[in-house]
Amino acid sequence: MDSVSVFTDFQFSDLGFLAEAAGRTLLISVLAISIGTVLGCVFGWVLSATRLAGDATLGVILDIFRSVPLIIQLILFYNFFPIIGFNVSPFVAGTIVLIFYTSALVAAVARGGIDAVSINLRRASRSLGMTYWQDLRYVVWPVGLRAVLPSWAGVALGVLKDSALVSVLGYVELLRASQILITRTQEPFLILTVVGAFYFALSFPISRITARLERRWQYD
Amino acid sequence: MRFLKNATVVSLAAALLFYGAMQNASADKLDDVIEAGKVRCGVVLDFPPIGYRDAKNEPAGFDVEYCKDLAKAMDVDFELIPVTWAERLPVIVNNRADVVFGGTSDTLERAKTVGFTIPYAIYYHQAVVGKDSGIETFDDLKGKRVAAAVGTVPEIEFLKYAEQWDTNDLYQGYQSENEVFLAVAQGKVDAGITTNTAVKPIAEKYDNIIAGPRMPWTTDFTSVVGPRKDFGWLNYLNLFVTHQVRSGRYQELWDQFVGGEAPELRIPGVFY
Amino acid sequence: MDYTFHWRPVFRKLPDLLEAGLVTMEVAVLAMLVGVVLGLALAIIRMSGLKSITWFAVGWIELARNTPALLQLFFFGFGLGAFGIHLSPFLIVLFGLSFNNAGYLAETFRGGFNAVPPTQVKAARSLGMTPTQAYTRIVIPQVMRVVYHPMTNQMVWSVLMSSLAMLVGYRELAGETQFLASKTYRIFEFFLVTAVIYYVMVKLILAGSRLLSWRLFRY
Repeated sequence: MDSVSVFTDFQFSDLGFLAEAAGRTLLISVLAISIGTVLGCVFGWVLSATRLAGDATLGVILDIFRSVPLIIQLILFYNFFPIIGFNVSPFVAGTIVLIFYTSALVAAVARGGIDAVSINLRRASRSLGMTYWQDLRYVVWPVGLRAVLPSWAGVALGVLKDSALVSVLGYVELLRASQILITRTQEPFLILTVVGAFYFALSFPISRITARLERRWQYD
Repeated sequence: MRFLKNATVVSLAAALLFYGAMQNASADKLDDVIEAGKVRCGVVLDFPPIGYRDAKNEPAGFDVEYCKDLAKAMDVDFELIPVTWAERLPVIVNNRADVVFGGTSDTLERAKTVGFTIPYAIYYHQAVVGKDSGIETFDDLKGKRVAAAVGTVPEIEFLKYAEQWDTNDLYQGYQSENEVFLAVAQGKVDAGITTNTAVKPIAEKYDNIIAGPRMPWTTDFTSVVGPRKDFGWLNYLNLFVTHQVRSGRYQELWDQFVGGEAPELRIPGVFY
Repeated sequence: MDYTFHWRPVFRKLPDLLEAGLVTMEVAVLAMLVGVVLGLALAIIRMSGLKSITWFAVGWIELARNTPALLQLFFFGFGLGAFGIHLSPFLIVLFGLSFNNAGYLAETFRGGFNAVPPTQVKAARSLGMTPTQAYTRIVIPQVMRVVYHPMTNQMVWSVLMSSLAMLVGYRELAGETQFLASKTYRIFEFFLVTAVIYYVMVKLILAGSRLLSWRLFRY
């Protein structure tokens, strides 16, 4: 009997396989960016409100996430969870690490946004009778947001691309899917090009919109 | 009165703790797997034809079938966990898989970390070489660019020779066996060290790759891998391996994926 | 908890890890230098407004910024290999990181040049400065101020990104860690120590950059 065929050529249906994987890239990115942004805004507010005390505690922890390569963080946490008795899937481990990574980046951005609002403006709003929370909601948020939205979009784009690293845990997102197909078809150039186009299609619209927003806000 | 109350609480807590400990002590991996209703198999899908993905991108191959057979024998479901070569043992150490079918050579170094069954398949290591590389014997590899997958026996063994030849810098480790083949095919390296079973499909796939020399180190006895301390589980896996042979399933799968007579799983001259 | 930590194999290999840390710094700094030169060139091309070459700069910048760095590394590896162009793992990493750095730095430089109003050059010229003087004394110092902080960030990125080298077979810090961990199976222990080394390297870069900025930007 002849041996089974272990290499098969690239087929049209593989585009579906890649599209599915792109969906997973999108899913893990949207989860990380949305939850990470909420967390990051809270962290940023805590850092800005507590100053030194926050910097010495929360600040140091968040700084670690920004100073160690994401790929190392992923490998560490993925191997750490089972040690403490939690068996997590690559998806869960990857999402958790990406959320904290995102929140650490967003915290720096959010803090910058809050600090960008001049203290005189805030004093003025308080002296108009606003509560602390009203000041935060109606003065700091809209003014700060404008100052940091481009940086936030930069973080979001970065996370979308960095989600490719979750592939090292074995989660079949876009990059891992490309490796699977390369192994099967032995066509690296074709598949890397197609996958590059997928990433570009996900990322380019966001960077365009941000660039436009940035330009518009610069001139008014 | 208070003393009595305290004593009751303490003894109750102690009893609970003891009960918990008993539970832990009596349930071993075998129980865990049966209770979970699912066996989690680490497999290497970068090891054609022993482990690969078919045209629908689904896992396939000799090792994959072994996992399915084990699940069937135990009457549980199976979960395939694709791992890289370097992840095969950590996946057991970290309890992310219950068992690894991944052509794992039973080295003494590895046995410090994980438990091995009796051999379930026997291979030898062989090079695939570029057609024009002029490599015919093992010694021809001296001074040539050679590649293997990170964390494999070929890597460890070859590096010993490379050390002697002082050609360490000509060696290149890759993440996957597939990248080794690609590197040979693209001409990045002159030779890639792999397993004899992979040589034929690779040489068929590429016009510019031919079968190279056999490696001088010993035959590769590969075992099923489980947690080091779980003897009940390793025992069960041992029995599974012998049943696969006795039922003829071993020969059947070998013929289907590799072709020809399956190697006899016996180590001459020693009782295993 | 069923896991026993083994730290001894890691500490025995600490010298190897530190040496690999130097390799990381080397490749990251080189990729930064190449990235600055290329990024400057791309920024100038893009601002030149010459249609025939602008598309090239724009294409480079957008590709570098909108695809994952890891994919870019793979391209320089097996992607180019498909055309018979073979780079050593070191060059794959160097070219990949430089390509990425250049894309980001080009935008940084463009922003820096845009931050200096062209009227300042005119003013400097009307004060009797030569064009070279106007640029070296008026424009460049201001541009440096704007781009210094983003450049420091990019340098940190360069170090962090270089860890992807482990996936293309280059043994810098992350690659060496993987190699050693695959021999002893102590993945967690090895990568934890490596994480500390990366952290220290990043802190050193930031501290160095701060020191330098005191010297460069004092009045």
